[in-house]
Amino acid sequence: MQKLIEARDVYTNFFTFEGVVKALNGVSIIVNQGETYGLVGESGCGKSVTVRSIMRIVQSPGRIVGGKILLFLSREDKGQGIDILKRSEAYMESIRGNDISMIFQEASTSLNPVLSIGYQVAESFLLHRLDEMLKETIDTLKAEIESGKLFITGWWKKFQGLLFKAELKGLERYTDMVAGIDRRLYELEDSTDKISIDERNHLNRKRDRLKKTVFVVQCVRHLPFIKHYGKKLHKTIRIHVIDLLKELGVPNPQNVPDMYPHELSGGMQQRIVIAIALACHPKLLIADEPTSNLDVTIQAQIIDLIKNLKSTSIASVLFITHDLGLVAEMCDRVTVMYAGDACETAAVKDLFKEPLHPYTKGLLRSVPKLKAQKELESIPGTVPNLIHPPSGCRFHPRCPHAKDICSEDKPPLTEHSEGHFIACYLYT
Amino acid sequence: MSLINYIIRRILLMVVVLFGVSLLVFSIMMIIPPGQRVAIYVTQEKISPAQINAMIKKYGLDDPAPVQYVRWLKQIFSGNFGYSITASAPVIKGFITYFPVTLELVLYATPLIILVGIWLGTLGAVHKDKPVDHATRVFAIIGYSLPTFWLGLILLMVFYGYLGIFPPGYLSNKGKNILFSPAFKRYTYILTVDAVLNWRWNIFWDALYHLVLPTVNLILLNSALILRLMRSSMLEALGQDYIRTALAKGADKRTIHNIHARRNALIPVITISGVLFAGLLGGMVITETIFARDGIGLWMARAALQMDVPAIMFNVLFLGTVFVVFNLIVDVVYAYIDPRIRLV
Amino acid sequence: MNETVVNEREEKEKIAVHPRLQEFLFSTRRFLKNPLTIIGLVIIILFALIAVFAPLIAPPHGSDPYRIPHTGWKMTPSPPSDIHPLGTLEQQYDIFYGVVWGTRLAFRIGVTVVFANLLIGIILGALAGYYGGIADEIIMRITDMFYAIPFLVAAMALVVAIGRGLKAVIIVLIILGWPTYTRVIRGEILVLREKDYILAARAGGASSLRIIFKHILPNSIYSVLIIASMNIGTVVLTAAALSFLGLGSETGYADWGQMVAMSRNWIVGPADNRLAFWYVVIIPGFVIAMFVLGWNLLGDAARDVFDPKMRRR
Repeated sequence: MQKLIEARDVYTNFFTFEGVVKALNGVSIIVNQGETYGLVGESGCGKSVTVRSIMRIVQSPGRIVGGKILLFLSREDKGQGIDILKRSEAYMESIRGNDISMIFQEASTSLNPVLSIGYQVAESFLLHRLDEMLKETIDTLKAEIESGKLFITGWWKKFQGLLFKAELKGLERYTDMVAGIDRRLYELEDSTDKISIDERNHLNRKRDRLKKTVFVVQCVRHLPFIKHYGKKLHKTIRIHVIDLLKELGVPNPQNVPDMYPHELSGGMQQRIVIAIALACHPKLLIADEPTSNLDVTIQAQIIDLIKNLKSTSIASVLFITHDLGLVAEMCDRVTVMYAGDACETAAVKDLFKEPLHPYTKGLLRSVPKLKAQKELESIPGTVPNLIHPPSGCRFHPRCPHAKDICSEDKPPLTEHSEGHFIACYLYT
Repeated sequence: MSLINYIIRRILLMVVVLFGVSLLVFSIMMIIPPGQRVAIYVTQEKISPAQINAMIKKYGLDDPAPVQYVRWLKQIFSGNFGYSITASAPVIKGFITYFPVTLELVLYATPLIILVGIWLGTLGAVHKDKPVDHATRVFAIIGYSLPTFWLGLILLMVFYGYLGIFPPGYLSNKGKNILFSPAFKRYTYILTVDAVLNWRWNIFWDALYHLVLPTVNLILLNSALILRLMRSSMLEALGQDYIRTALAKGADKRTIHNIHARRNALIPVITISGVLFAGLLGGMVITETIFARDGIGLWMARAALQMDVPAIMFNVLFLGTVFVVFNLIVDVVYAYIDPRIRLV
Repeated sequence: MNETVVNEREEKEKIAVHPRLQEFLFSTRRFLKNPLTIIGLVIIILFALIAVFAPLIAPPHGSDPYRIPHTGWKMTPSPPSDIHPLGTLEQQYDIFYGVVWGTRLAFRIGVTVVFANLLIGIILGALAGYYGGIADEIIMRITDMFYAIPFLVAAMALVVAIGRGLKAVIIVLIILGWPTYTRVIRGEILVLREKDYILAARAGGASSLRIIFKHILPNSIYSVLIIASMNIGTVVLTAAALSFLGLGSETGYADWGQMVAMSRNWIVGPADNRLAFWYVVIIPGFVIAMFVLGWNLLGDAARDVFDPKMRRR
């Protein structure tokens, strides 16, 4: 199978006032092209931090301190992947929302309360599909001018068309330059000598600077009076936004763009969040507990929606949840996390049939089953404090099979049977 | 639609508050003995004690308070505010002379205060705990610790006294000659505007030259509050979930700061801008006194020294009204920026 | 970081210290770590020492120690010398003496006004917040009225109405200052009133007064005290402004605002030395600025540290 993204030994720390929270302790996961991948664990085990590290949006005071996050995109050579931790912020901005996007657990707070729905969805188009939008606008303007009868507005439209063309030209030039930098960066990807590292840093900085120039140019569009020329562009984008909302089953898609988040129900808000994420047809959709604060019926709707979308428009889904039932229903493969460690990775069937890691076993035993008569079991002890995490395997203080070595060294992730990886000394 | 409803509701509420203001001004006035209050009804310059006693009787200044209050309101609505000794003219006429001077200063200073405060506050929040942040913090602390009157004096001492630039007053003598010549038509009584309308650029620059120090004085002192609040509310906004959504969308830092965070961060700033405006009006009294600008503030200060009761009461009433109207505008802007408020 | 919070709570339970004391100690430690706080603290302590030992630092001559002694009637100020360490104002009023006794006056004004404000504010705020209904309505509408007029403008009018002078200034500041505290106290009480432990106390048959004094005030007093400490600076500043405008103490009184007012004629020196009278302009205003700065630094830091919402940022 074709790999899409791989996190290799990622360490992420939060430097808080109370101390350093070691939230990720060398997590490794691989998401393949076209699969639905689950990430399960109790709250606070680092699921969210893992995916945020993958998108490089860990917010201060958090920082990724080690590891590699490799991206395998069709644009460039798929062989070794691109380590996005070495890339500039501007590069990440072109990836986020475009190739990888994300939906969040709490839709009501994930939407900006003071911006209209229309703008929030349109922004995805503005950020990543501006060239297409400009082309379309120019085409519609052309068509209008040709069929138009009005003399004065015709001039205005021609003027608008000229400006849009200029903007498009500038944008294409920028895209070319960026593509050039990215190609060179990819060539330098694995070289470790000083000269190429210097060049890499230089190129990364150059890319950031380029983006800044673009921003300054775009500011012109916000100036009073001049900003009116952009109206046509906004109309084009609005059509796309309405189409997208229709596709996602938002009722009344004509009016919703003018509404504000507080005017929508929780389920609708979550659909808007999904719309924002899907605007640019990402290759990977990361869903961070997308249903945890919704009513049960709406939960089902959203899950169905994601399933449908998976079959139609998105390549892969990385699904985060603490609900094992959902995992069984949706995912192809799954990783179980505990306190910043990835304990076990397997195909869903294998995991439920034959859980190997003691934590996975405990987790599965603590889930209510339809037929079982006996009492539910829980895992003794509590989740450790990650400022002073247990040495070695972080699960060892609660593990019924703990050996001496467990408290000394962190167990490596090894392949137990085909596609079934596990980090536990019981199996080495 | 709902915005218009909201505005109508706020205007109705404003009428109630204005009633409260008039009540307060009246209560302050009632502390003053009737002999001095009589001045409100006087319209000529010289008056004898016997006449005063007669007038107290005539206008019933020793009547019960509620009766007097109603009568006073009637007076106000008929536009009679009495005679001001300090202006040597009826209060209304004094107001028409002095108000444009103050308005001019407000018009120049307020946008600058807001811009400087918001800009520096954003800067501090974006570069939290970096040198820029510390610098803005020091600026803010100095800003709200320095006495207005002292800073004004120092500015004058350094720029006017030592460097010989930016003199106090509102126009040079040469400019005043032109100003009072019949050729110069006064349309708005706002000097810089009139100068442009008369196409007298030398007057325009002259007036602007005199505006620099008072404006700087007001900016230094009043932008501090906005700065501090903007910084903390910007920090709060930057920590919200929707910023994460914007990040995940691929928005760059500038877009996030300028569009996603700032609009939200402005909400608390707008709510306190009423307090700020009150400070500005107070600061205006002192600034005009120091820089000898013949505006409402200086008039008020002189009136207070000379027990010019009609002028004081009128100004308190006027500034109170301005303040209440300003708060109404603030509420409307608030509702415009934050769509949630309109539903309440 | 849910787990950290949980663990922190566990740790707290382990240590057998009263949680409020624990919190207080934690806050105090943070409070004292901030260099700006230390500067503020040093400034205020210095001023307090000057105020306390004023009779020793600058022995008074006449019957009223707040009257600055002046040696002669010469209009031009004299520069710093052995007799006048900080120089003199016009009519030879000694600046050093004025600064020292002005400190004492500033504390007197600041503390008197803020204490009176607090007292009125707490009583009215508690009444409005705890009983609600008509009492609340009346009190809050009165505060609204006070808020509707710019502070300094209202103060000027009221001073004129009462009759100029230092006493009038203090009375006016007391009359106009309380609404802030009333609002804050009322707001805090409205939140606290619905808290479970208050409901429990009420269900247990505690009287209203007892609930207010025993349960509600101790919990809401922090934020009010922080505001009060910041307000001492503001009050002194406003009093000085009124004095500067000529509405406060009369000429020759050891009042900083009055001293700044006396310096107004001396911002421009003679032609050969434009800054000749710098000491007249700089010193009194600088002292006011330092005094206000000290309180602001303290209040600012206290708000950052003791306000749980601002903490851990």
